Amino acid sequence: MNEISFDNNWEQLGKYPIVTEHDIVKIRQLVRHHAKEARMGIVEQTRITTAVSELFRNMFNYAEGGDVLIERGNIDGKNALIVTCIDQGPGIEDLELAMSDGYTSGMGMGYGLPGTKRLVDRFEIQSEKDKGTIVRVMKWR
Amino acid sequence: MSEKIVFEKAKERIEHIEDVLSSVAAGDLDVRIEAEIEDDLTGVEEAINILIEDLTYELKQSKKMREELEEKLSKIEDQQKTIIRQQDDLLELSSPVSKVWDNILILPVIGTLDSQRAQIMMENLLQKIVDTGCTMSILDITGVPTVDTQVANHLLKTVTSARLLGADCIISGISPAIAQTIVHLGIDLSVIKTKATLQDAMIYAMRKNNQLTHGKIKSDHLSETEETE
Repeated sequence: MNEISFDNNWEQLGKYPIVTEHDIVKIRQLVRHHAKEARMGIVEQTRITTAVSELFRNMFNYAEGGDVLIERGNIDGKNALIVTCIDQGPGIEDLELAMSDGYTSGMGMGYGLPGTKRLVDRFEIQSEKDKGTIVRVMKWR
Repeated sequence: MSEKIVFEKAKERIEHIEDVLSSVAAGDLDVRIEAEIEDDLTGVEEAINILIEDLTYELKQSKKMREELEEKLSKIEDQQKTIIRQQDDLLELSSPVSKVWDNILILPVIGTLDSQRAQIMMENLLQKIVDTGCTMSILDITGVPTVDTQVANHLLKTVTSARLLGADCIISGISPAIAQTIVHLGIDLSVIKTKATLQDAMIYAMRKNNQLTHGKIKSDHLSETEETE
């Protein structure tokens, strides 16, 4: 899988830390707001909001929180909303396994990552054991 | 005056300055250097006196500011306590379970379903099921804007535990957008009875009720709605 690059010409809309469970709600509301601003429909808004909610929860549950970067940029000629989640958690040992339906390392249902991937237009993940995980999702209209 | 006496006198005064400075350093800001004669040293002595005055003033200011800050901090702490208390109150308030009909309970869920709320909600519902002996309960999630896997998981757990107590759970109020999202996430909610609106759930529950009490569907109105569905 390709390395996630931070050298982009995207417009940064904000960077926020996830520390408490309340942050998850607060920041996903922000994401919904930005999706609305990007004139996405209600279904698209719900999709991206749910997708980032999954990612935020993963960070909160497994990595003791992390940072969220919300950006807007041009992807293949489309105006995209880009959300990047960065944590310094334990990392994911087997990405292929984590991306398969029904697998869970904790108490979840096992649909978090693969489900998130189905909800967005582009999904990138990069993880190193004991170093952390970066997940980037993109949604366009 | 011989040079020696002048020197002795100057030495004395310098020692006095030293004493005053060390008193100030020790925290005594009331001491001042008393100038007896006017000469070159007087300027230095006065300058030191002015410095002590300034220092006293600044210290008073910073003490005042510290007190103000501490007052503000304690106010903020009080507010924080109020917020926490209100959050707890809200948790209790936000999961009302009401009996709306014979045998039928309704639990309207509004807002965000985090683990703590989900837990309280489940406890309230299960307790009410036991207390009232109702065997139908409706969980209305019209007011829940985001259903992710954790929320779905909480709902599944609530329904499963209600079932263990012998009560059927119906979930109502899933919006079209949330329905599509749930499907894409890959969550299987087919084990749960779901209805689009609270009204549908209510009709379903009442019909079930009639079946339970009379062994068959009695009301013509209710059987009609089933056909049109």
